Amino acid sequence: MIRVKNIRKTYSNGNFNVDAVQGVSLEINQGEFTAIVGPSGSGKTTLLNLIGGLDVPNSGEILIGEQNIAELSENELIDFRLHHIGFVFQSYNLIPVLTAKENVEFLMLLQKKSESERNERTLQLLKAVGLENQTDKKPNEMSGGQQQRVAVARALASKPDFVLADEPTANLDSASTQNLLNIMAKLNKEENTTFVFSTHDQRVIDRANRIITIDDGKVVSDVRNTIA
Amino acid sequence: MLIAAIAIGIFGGLAVISTANGLTKMRQKNAIKSYVSHLQIHNPKYLKYGNVIDVISNSKLEDFLNKSKEVAAFSKRLKIESFVESVGGNGGVILNGIEPNNERLVTNIFSQCINNNYFNKFGKRPPIIISEKLAKRLNAEVGTSIKCSFTDIRGEPSLGVFKIINIFSTSNSLYDEVNAFVLLKDLAVLAKEEHVHEYAIIARDAKNVENLRNNLSSNFKNLQTDSWRAIAPELGYADKMMEIVMTLFLIIIMLALAFGIINTMLMAVFERKKEIGMLLSVGMNKRKIFWMILWESICLAIIAGPIGILISYGVISLFSIIGINVAFAADGLRSVGLDSTIYPSLDNKFYWLMTALVIITSILSCIYPARKALQLNPSETLRTSV
Repeated sequence: MIRVKNIRKTYSNGNFNVDAVQGVSLEINQGEFTAIVGPSGSGKTTLLNLIGGLDVPNSGEILIGEQNIAELSENELIDFRLHHIGFVFQSYNLIPVLTAKENVEFLMLLQKKSESERNERTLQLLKAVGLENQTDKKPNEMSGGQQQRVAVARALASKPDFVLADEPTANLDSASTQNLLNIMAKLNKEENTTFVFSTHDQRVIDRANRIITIDDGKVVSDVRNTIA
Repeated sequence: MLIAAIAIGIFGGLAVISTANGLTKMRQKNAIKSYVSHLQIHNPKYLKYGNVIDVISNSKLEDFLNKSKEVAAFSKRLKIESFVESVGGNGGVILNGIEPNNERLVTNIFSQCINNNYFNKFGKRPPIIISEKLAKRLNAEVGTSIKCSFTDIRGEPSLGVFKIINIFSTSNSLYDEVNAFVLLKDLAVLAKEEHVHEYAIIARDAKNVENLRNNLSSNFKNLQTDSWRAIAPELGYADKMMEIVMTLFLIIIMLALAFGIINTMLMAVFERKKEIGMLLSVGMNKRKIFWMILWESICLAIIAGPIGILISYGVISLFSIIGINVAFAADGLRSVGLDSTIYPSLDNKFYWLMTALVIITSILSCIYPARKALQLNPSETLRTSV
């Protein structure tokens, strides 16, 4: 479970301050498929960064399970991310010199998993995202949709408690988007992994079972999507 | 590109150093072979006052030199300052009375004569070999007779008429200008002196010169034995100077290498900000990122360093055999005791030193870019993507 308690984040931008997140509190339960939506500049990326421990709030608490991540040192936080949080980036951010298999395997190498465990998990995930025949391809040999599917497989490779995905479909066409959403929904169900998206893509919003809307750094609505 | 730049930089530096080193060694070698020799023995008073009466009269010295296993060859010289004149000109010169068979084992003047016969072929008149430079001043040539006037051992004027049988030209024009060679027995008669002023010695092992000098000094305390470094201090200074030049060049090469690596790795870090940000985000700790960047520059150095050093070794070895012909600058080089073919030379230990320095410099110079990478904030680097 993710618990966010009254967090605030202010950026200093030259002579003026930007209140990116203003007293946000929310709870995300295990297994939820949640979309954080809002217009550009509303603070959804900042909120995702704070939840993922990539940024530190000026005030408030973020608890992942029972761990208040603000109490972790920089190195502990990096280690915490490795074992508990998966990331999917808008521009995929795969390592260009590694193959699809190696990109997925990479986090497990950092986790010092055995070779057999790595191989088994990698092939399982690549099969789940429909890329079992593309294992030896490098990112520049794959389409955007394929690269993002590798990125999803990589995010899940370390068996995280939850996956944070910021605008994961922003660079994808309609077919690739639907394909990716199907895969993430399937993995959400099969592995009970929590997914939290920041997005303003209606196709993603339609598939989410919870929609949190923020504007000007504040939560303006938090609704369950029963249609999804 | 950086690999090529590092390799070419190392090659350029080593090529310059080896050429300069080759020039220094050549100058030493030429000086030792043509006039300095490894060691010279004199009466200390002769060195101090230059009087012809201060000869070496120790009869045991020659026995010692003949028996010593450290001595490869020696030549004795009677040296008399003389005024020479011919029909075409005149000038001052030092007449070196020598025994040709011994002299040719010590110096290479014989090989630098226009005729191959050195002192082997002459008529009734006492023979003399003069330099090309002196011959021009005297307007003389082989076969010309010249008059040499000087003061003998008793202080009385003496005059000898010699016939030029050969003309030499060494790589040191200053030496050539003031030296001429006659037979020791001829000069001894004219100077009325049976002893000599100088013993020039070639050691069997050039590295053992100092030991031999100590040995001679302790056995013949009333004589002064000097090594080539003391006889021609400028040669020793050139050696020291070369060491300083080599060190400076090494520092310059290493600085260029360091800046090249710092620049490239900084560029790499900034170009890969997103990648590094992603690695930090997904859980690669800073120590691993630091080592990743360190390894990248070590790999660059490990590839480029040996390439540069191997190219340098190959090229320097090749030219140390075939030489670099700079005939267009022969006159200028001759005036400072150098030949027109330069043989670059570099000790093997220098290549090892260079290899070690390249690796150490590479490691040190990538610390700054690696630290810069660690200062990246993942959320900022990913701002456009997360």
